[in-house]
Amino acid sequence: MFEARGLMVFYENMLALNNVSLQCGVNQIVGVFGANSAGKSTLMYTLSGIMLDIVKKEEMAGRERITVRGRIMFNGEDIMFQKPSRRARAGIILCPERRRIFPECTVLENLKIGSYLATASQARETLDYVLEVFAPLKRILKRLGGFLSGGEQQMLAIGRALMAQPKLLLLDEPLLGLSPAIQYLLSKAVKDIRDHRGMSIIVSEQYARPIIPIIDYGYILENGAAVVEGGRQELMDNPDVKSAYFGT
Amino acid sequence: MEIIIYGIINSVSLALMAVGFTLVYGVSRLPNFAHGAIYILTGYLTWLLMNRLGLNYLFSAIVALGLTGLIGAAMYQLVLIRVRGMPISEIIASYAIGLAILEGLRWGGLKGGTFRLPPFIEGSVNIFGVSVDFQRLFVVVLGATIMGALWLFVNNTKIGLALKGMAQDERAAMTLGIDSDRMAVVATAIGCMLAGVAAIVLLPLGSIVVESGYQVLIMAVAVCIVGGLGSWTGAIMAAFIIGFAQILTVVYFGAHFQVVVALLAIVVTLISRPSGLFGRQKELEERV
Repeated sequence: MFEARGLMVFYENMLALNNVSLQCGVNQIVGVFGANSAGKSTLMYTLSGIMLDIVKKEEMAGRERITVRGRIMFNGEDIMFQKPSRRARAGIILCPERRRIFPECTVLENLKIGSYLATASQARETLDYVLEVFAPLKRILKRLGGFLSGGEQQMLAIGRALMAQPKLLLLDEPLLGLSPAIQYLLSKAVKDIRDHRGMSIIVSEQYARPIIPIIDYGYILENGAAVVEGGRQELMDNPDVKSAYFGT
Repeated sequence: MEIIIYGIINSVSLALMAVGFTLVYGVSRLPNFAHGAIYILTGYLTWLLMNRLGLNYLFSAIVALGLTGLIGAAMYQLVLIRVRGMPISEIIASYAIGLAILEGLRWGGLKGGTFRLPPFIEGSVNIFGVSVDFQRLFVVVLGATIMGALWLFVNNTKIGLALKGMAQDERAAMTLGIDSDRMAVVATAIGCMLAGVAAIVLLPLGSIVVESGYQVLIMAVAVCIVGGLGSWTGAIMAAFIIGFAQILTVVYFGAHFQVVVALLAIVVTLISRPSGLFGRQKELEERV
């Protein structure tokens, strides 16, 4: 259903993504693991199309020259050079790194803005689901986005992305900076979303441990290249992965 | 009493002049320096429709507003879109458009006191012993209505909410399927129409002259800088501060110091609090 082939991204002459290929089937959860600066966010931006906007803005301002190569196929269509809003319309929704909640809007408004692409009945139904799976949001619907704790913000960010009716949800470091207890809750919620809402999910994370139990397939990114890939068990048994990402 | 009543009227006028500018800047980070020109242009279009085509006042005002919206959209789509992301070029390009419109109008014969829009209702009324003409009263009522309508629009409609999202985080809005260029077109069109509304209610108080185009731009910029660029509450507060300050100077120093007040307000704000009253200081920066 979703396939990226030979993605290359250069910041000037620095290679940020080196020939990365990745696949995600219908209703699969795919994990992308890698350390800081391994290229996770660059990959997510490229998949969601935000990279095109970054390229354009950098060029306009005369700053870095960014080059993007490769192909991204979504339901049999090459979407490599489609605008992010067009990809979102097709169902590819990014939940960006560091959450990027609208700080001056209330929780409810954030969710409403998320439902820009949804019909009124879809929005109502999804809102009910979001408040069910992220119950803590229910009590703080009137609070401003900027005054939420990290965990609440992350729930809101995922909820906001869900409101846009994704078919493929891209989660960029959803567990960043959160306590282990909330990490556990969130990864359980991600699995619940896949099971009950029927969507494919690609999730990138620095630490594999909380995410790996819920994935179907995973990739390890190092210096911009996908060095290891495999099913959940395969990754867990791989000795290199074990030492680097599980700390055993 | 006079100071209070005329202060309120003046403040609302300033808020009306500035609200379009704030909206465009807030949504797309685009300082629309053609704002004053659009203001005069709408007035002139209304005058043309009324006097050359003989349409009735309300109808010509509505047609002129529609045209202004189209001009705003075209301005963004044809010119400004090419210089997005280069702040200096954005200012130069939009100011050039404004100059072209204003000086074009001057060249086309728009000068002197011959071009006037009639007030909606003649006459005046006594409020607490101060005589206020109906047009000025109407400015206040319409100003409040516009602000209310805008508030409802932004908080309750899909496009309004999308504009609000864009204003806070453009890329996050993009990930949700909001097309930033289309929203910027919408914002510019609405911004220009708001300038037009201001023109239609304020111009009957004087005559349509090119100079007031520049003056409106200065006022709008002053209000936005004092209030904090892109902040709506800030803009309204600033409109009241500058509005009352102007009336006080008129009463105690003299009418020709009015513009000085606005410029002085810019300078003082930039020195003491560069991001304005409600500027986007990173006060709400995310807590990780």
